[in-house]
Amino acid sequence: MSYLPAAPASPARRALLRGALGLGTAAALTACGGGSTTPRTSGDVTLGLWTHDPGYERFFAKGIPDADRTGDFRYHLRVTRAGAPDVVTKLLAQAVAGRGTPDLVGFEIGSFPRMLRGDIAERLLHDFTPDIEAVPGLKEDLLPARTAPFSRDGRVYAFDSDTPMVVYFHRRDLFEKYGLPEDVATWEEFAEAGARVHRDHGASMCVVSTVGSDPGQVVQSFQMLLYQRGGAFFDADGTLVLDSPEAEEVLRFLCEGLRSGFVVEVSDYYGAGIQTALKAGRVIGLPMAIWYKNYGLVTNVPEQKGRWRVRALPRFAGGGGVTAALGGTGFGVVEGKPNTRAATEFLFRTWLTHEGQVRRFTETGYLPTRRSVYEDSRLGAYADDFCGGQRLFGLYRSLLPDVPPFHQSPDQSILYDVLGGNLLRAYHGDLSPRQALKQTARDFRDQAGR
Amino acid sequence: MTTTVVGPPGAARARSTPKGEERRPRRTWAPYLFVSPFYLLYVLFMLIPVGVSLWLSLTEWVGLGTPRWVGLRNYRLLATDISFHRALGNTAVFVLVALCLVVPLALLIAQALNTRGLRVRDLWRTAYFVPIVVSPILVALVFGLVFDRQFGLANAVLRALFGSGGVDWLGDPDLARVSIALVMLWRWTGYLTVFFLAGLQNVPRELYEAAALDGAGRLRTFTTVTLPALKPVTAFVVVTSFIGAAQIFEEPYLLTGGGPAESTLSVTMFIYRAAFQRQQFGYAAAAAVVLFVLVFGLSRLFNRLLGIGRAAS
Repeated sequence: MSYLPAAPASPARRALLRGALGLGTAAALTACGGGSTTPRTSGDVTLGLWTHDPGYERFFAKGIPDADRTGDFRYHLRVTRAGAPDVVTKLLAQAVAGRGTPDLVGFEIGSFPRMLRGDIAERLLHDFTPDIEAVPGLKEDLLPARTAPFSRDGRVYAFDSDTPMVVYFHRRDLFEKYGLPEDVATWEEFAEAGARVHRDHGASMCVVSTVGSDPGQVVQSFQMLLYQRGGAFFDADGTLVLDSPEAEEVLRFLCEGLRSGFVVEVSDYYGAGIQTALKAGRVIGLPMAIWYKNYGLVTNVPEQKGRWRVRALPRFAGGGGVTAALGGTGFGVVEGKPNTRAATEFLFRTWLTHEGQVRRFTETGYLPTRRSVYEDSRLGAYADDFCGGQRLFGLYRSLLPDVPPFHQSPDQSILYDVLGGNLLRAYHGDLSPRQALKQTARDFRDQAGR
Repeated sequence: MTTTVVGPPGAARARSTPKGEERRPRRTWAPYLFVSPFYLLYVLFMLIPVGVSLWLSLTEWVGLGTPRWVGLRNYRLLATDISFHRALGNTAVFVLVALCLVVPLALLIAQALNTRGLRVRDLWRTAYFVPIVVSPILVALVFGLVFDRQFGLANAVLRALFGSGGVDWLGDPDLARVSIALVMLWRWTGYLTVFFLAGLQNVPRELYEAAALDGAGRLRTFTTVTLPALKPVTAFVVVTSFIGAAQIFEEPYLLTGGGPAESTLSVTMFIYRAAFQRQQFGYAAAAAVVLFVLVFGLSRLFNRLLGIGRAAS
């Protein structure tokens, strides 16, 4: 008689193992399954919306009744908010996992170039080109300057939220106090007056960001004036065209401005650095995109309400326009999902309608991306309290023809990394503007396309 | 006195059976079952990812779709990539800071905290240990304010003491490295102090008494008693500090973003940037493999030099 317990019969153990494996596999398949991909054509639909900005969330939520009324779907939104770069990272991670992607996704313009790498955009995003062509007159009505950043090979993968032109914000009270005329025509004259104001009052009329941790911000300061002067980072093919006489002129202008005090360095356009500078009256004006009123000025110096005004940028004596483009957020739809059609229609029935674009400006301050909407009288009548009741829309409409297209490249983040460092070196006098641009072009060539 | 019998599982039990009833040792799965969770997890979360990384480093992949086989191209590109060289150089600086500043300082603080008769000893220990508990995000926020060029605390102190304080702590490439080093020092010294403190408390008091009888002074006692007694702890601290510093990410990422002009870009930040900002997963994997080889090789070297795992003679 054996004192060892009887071993279980082998077949039973194998059967148990097989059963466990079967159950595990079934569970794994159930968990990993992407669900049905049959497109929904009508009825209740819950769209997954990912965005970095609560303003967009409110806009879309308010647009649901209009979308419901004009289409076959009854919409609900499930919103996920994340930091702008995280939206793209999470989207790609979920796409690799094959599940959990949103239906509608907001791309901050600086993060979108990641979608242009390889064939990511083609694989992941719905191509709006046929949808645009299906709506009579829409293609001609959309501003090419704002479809360019979200396009590749002539295909549109997202619709911009704004026509973010660059204007000059300034403190009217301090301009008057310091005897500064508001209608100075050129940057050169402006810089001369700015040097005097700095010498006499310790105030500056232009700002560059030098926050080392955010190359995007460092680049922005230079980018605005570069595009206004007629230069660019990339052409329509995504080729680097930064190393130009215009770029050198703009960089020299900023470097000289820093020496004279016309330009001041701030560590952050949006945080404590600029807040203190604004509150202390050390910055009395700055060129920035129109959205900066809401995201930079109102948030940092609400008590200065009524003292700020907006005007067009002074021109460069050497040429160029009176505005530039900076920033934006494009909304795209994820391809190949049951809700792809519903999400596309939702975008067309909220984001792109005439009423929707009017609402975008009155509720969020973002300018229309359709040319025809600029003629709406409600926009012209809109008075801005923060800017002393100034009717800004007339100014914006007059600048519209000057808004340059902004072409993006998959290698854009590389450019920002190398340009940010070289701009700082130039600002600090370690490199001449010419050397900084040459070095940037060299570094970019070394790193791009790896 | 006890004797340990080493043999195959079940052997001892087989020997205990009566003579004439010799049984063939029965193979049992129990030990393997008990150790299997470790190996399962090790394979799943260590060997497979390492293998996939190796394979990925030989491909070009944007993060979606099928990776394209490029052989050793990524490694060839890394060899000539100025950014990668900068990242390696910066990481070497951070490693030197960890080994030459943080570790000795931790040892000195531990020695001070181990002094007999020290008042509120627990308060000191907690104070030194707290930085490691604080979230890195908070650390970055606070030090970002401290090092702000115009409105930071560091410059305010310099202004108060010397009348000028326009130091660009985070904007100047060299000073940015110094700033990161200061944060490392603040954050990790207390953590390492705990290990040294534990080691110091295990040094037999008789050794100190013997040194005192021999007339050894404080310095002599420290070099001839304390340091040799702490050798195993020191070896552990040096190797873990080296590995930690070689993989430094949080401090430069949150405080300077690797800038200005890549002056604080570490190798792990380089990997992160390539993968999650530039969609170059194959290239990032190649850099990760290089980092792994370097860290593994140098750790083995440290192990050998410090005699870790070698039986005491």
